[in-house]
Amino acid sequence: MKMHIDAAYRSLNKYGEELCGDKVQIIRREDSTIAVLADGLGSGVKANILSTLTSTILATMLNEGATVTQAVETLASTLPVCNIRKLAYSTFSVAQIFDDGQVDLVEFDNPPCMFVRNGKLVDLEPYSELKECAGKNVVESHFTIMPGDVITLVSDGVIYAGVGQALNFGWNWDNVSAWLAKMTLKEPSAPRLAASLCQAVGELYMDRPGDDSTCLVLKAIPKSVVNILAGPPVDKEDDPKMVHDFMVSPGKRMICGGTSANIVARVLNRKITTTLNYTDPTLPPIGHIDGIDLVTEGVLTLSRTVDILKKYLESGDTFDFRLLDEDNGAAMIAKILIEECTSVRIFAGRAINPAHQNPGLPADLSIKMQLLDTLCKLVERMGKQVECSFY
Amino acid sequence: MEITICIGSSCHLKGSRDVISILQRLVSLHHLEDKIELKGSFCMGECMNNGVCVCIDGERFNVLPYETEKFFNTEIMKRLNKA
Repeated sequence: MKMHIDAAYRSLNKYGEELCGDKVQIIRREDSTIAVLADGLGSGVKANILSTLTSTILATMLNEGATVTQAVETLASTLPVCNIRKLAYSTFSVAQIFDDGQVDLVEFDNPPCMFVRNGKLVDLEPYSELKECAGKNVVESHFTIMPGDVITLVSDGVIYAGVGQALNFGWNWDNVSAWLAKMTLKEPSAPRLAASLCQAVGELYMDRPGDDSTCLVLKAIPKSVVNILAGPPVDKEDDPKMVHDFMVSPGKRMICGGTSANIVARVLNRKITTTLNYTDPTLPPIGHIDGIDLVTEGVLTLSRTVDILKKYLESGDTFDFRLLDEDNGAAMIAKILIEECTSVRIFAGRAINPAHQNPGLPADLSIKMQLLDTLCKLVERMGKQVECSFY
Repeated sequence: MEITICIGSSCHLKGSRDVISILQRLVSLHHLEDKIELKGSFCMGECMNNGVCVCIDGERFNVLPYETEKFFNTEIMKRLNKA
């Protein structure tokens, strides 16, 4: 079964540090996803440089087809040596997950990977072997995952959360993994899981982390497509074609735009209903057409969605997921785009709404195409596939 | 009587939410909930006109928020009394 890897990570910096000494790199390939978590020796600038070098070298070399051994050898001879400790050192975990579920995992001195299936922790030991690789002892594991499985990689700051403060010996691996196993049942998506794990770590450290703490959550989900129809076609005669293409494409269906919704309703000869329920005073209410998962107004809603997506990508570690649970069209679109799909297909009509060219209107409504373009770019940055057809 | 108010983008910006809330208040003030049904609709294609598109049993009007009460007292009440 073809799978998509929903990948998300969050970091907490050591208290008082501006830079994080942990680094995550995620590379999407056609047939697989490569995820690297590196934890540089020490903290601050030095650790940040070490982990950035480590993760970038590993990710780039593996992406270009090098073996792990080659990559680790390159690392060993490239990393600058720490002046104090006379060591060139950064721990790392690399996972390459193929579309068919095959996982190649290589770990060097990081806390062991936590693998959860159906809310239960799976012991990876039978699938692992200790190897020497360029003078370093690494653990190599090969196993297969199914949709719903969650692989979590953490830096040691997570395992030691609260040490000497809330807990004598820190949170420790057994407790973190048990907690995580339970949480996978509660938190449906990788971003939320990473967020709540990091929040728990922050609380144990009483908001003053003693070490950089990073968690990287990789969740296997079945490929799921969402189709978005936005805007009427330039040529009215293309209406049926556009609606047909939209309706035969498998996956969820959303319509963004009142006129577009009217077109779909007319072509399909279905009734369109709208509520007068203003859950958010600044956005028009949503509507409903049988067989369509979500029907919203166009530009105003979309521009809000773009704002939410930007916030999601830019605020990174501080994004508040309650923003996605709000009861308005824009939040619903954003939630589907962020959490409920692996690829997006957009059916965009290029017609310009003459009414929107009215200079008397307070907002610029002529920006639909530009909005869609921004939306596509943002969704791509989330590691999802975007396909766009124009009418 | 069915009254449909456009909630499309343009009308939204021209204040359809205010028109709707004023109408809702007037309907409940006059205890007309049984007689008048307020509904929303996406763009009705009247965007070029000045005002929110409001449709009474198929007949179209353009209403700005500050005219809503007058519109209710004249057009809507007139039709109700006739019926």
